[in-house]
Amino acid sequence: MRSLPLLLSLCLLSACGPADDSPLVVYGLEVTPPRPGMNMSAGYFEIHNNTGDAVRITRAESPQFEAVELHETTTVDGVSRMRPVDALVIAPGTTLKLERGGKHLMLMRPVEASLETVELRLYSGDTLLLSVNTQVASD
Amino acid sequence: MNRTLLIAILIAALAAGTLLALNGDRSGGTAMAAAPRVATVLPEPQTLPEFSLTDHTGAERDRSFLEGQWNLVFFGFTHCPDICPTTLATLSSARKELAESYAGTPPRIVLVSVDPERDTPEKLAEYINYFGEGNLALTGPEASIRELTEPLFVYFNRVPLENGSYTVDHSSVVLLVDPEGRFHALFSGPHNAADYVHDLPIVTSQT
Repeated sequence: MRSLPLLLSLCLLSACGPADDSPLVVYGLEVTPPRPGMNMSAGYFEIHNNTGDAVRITRAESPQFEAVELHETTTVDGVSRMRPVDALVIAPGTTLKLERGGKHLMLMRPVEASLETVELRLYSGDTLLLSVNTQVASD
Repeated sequence: MNRTLLIAILIAALAAGTLLALNGDRSGGTAMAAAPRVATVLPEPQTLPEFSLTDHTGAERDRSFLEGQWNLVFFGFTHCPDICPTTLATLSSARKELAESYAGTPPRIVLVSVDPERDTPEKLAEYINYFGEGNLALTGPEASIRELTEPLFVYFNRVPLENGSYTVDHSSVVLLVDPEGRFHALFSGPHNAADYVHDLPIVTSQT
């Protein structure tokens, strides 16, 4: 079995683009601005798994936030529920979409009052899978 | 009133489905009466329940404060990072687009907090103004909020989380309240600005 962490390390700290054939590729990363008076943002992106193994993202962190959680919003019978999830699983050769009203990252307590750029680090256990940067979005 | 309101909503939903089907059948034609795309219009507007809540300026407000203009009423909370700001941004975007073509003032956005413990008037003021001018946010004791939500079948429930915090499950519906303070139509999620831009001029001109 190939070493997934070794493969994934090739993508570390790189800006992956749509034509990228790295093991994990992130598209359309967006971090919403913390709304005035609030201390949280949301992170959305698509992530494609180019490997032959399932990838489990079990935690995330950002130097710009004190905490990052994996969350999912579901709406059933007109009622929206948001819950933390243990992992985001990307099957081999597939793309997982983190989107509004679905799976997303919840970024809590920004460490600085003004946020311009956010770095996100995605982990499987203690293994750093991927690190990506983006400008904070505007509504 | 609850039974009457429920029946009215069901009839409206059936009517909306019929209209959608008719429009679908006529898609190849050229002339088609304007019909809402997603809004469910009640056959008869229903008077809102009486309520007494505090707005984001600290002022006490009751049902009469919703009179005199159209209102888009959403039930959410500020510690909600995903669906609530997304819905409010959608409504805000629709209002901006409508401002250029709408006859009169586009409906006001009204956020009714379902998290009164954390959503103080001060917090709500910072939050709601982010989504445009002229919006309104309401909060108050949970019992007072339920006096408004329960007759409307709007659900909310506080749920503890493992990290010691809590979240609030809540209805995702947006209610359209008319200038007489009556529940006139509803928009079920998912919410899309283009649907509001299409439907609001139609629904608000049918009175």
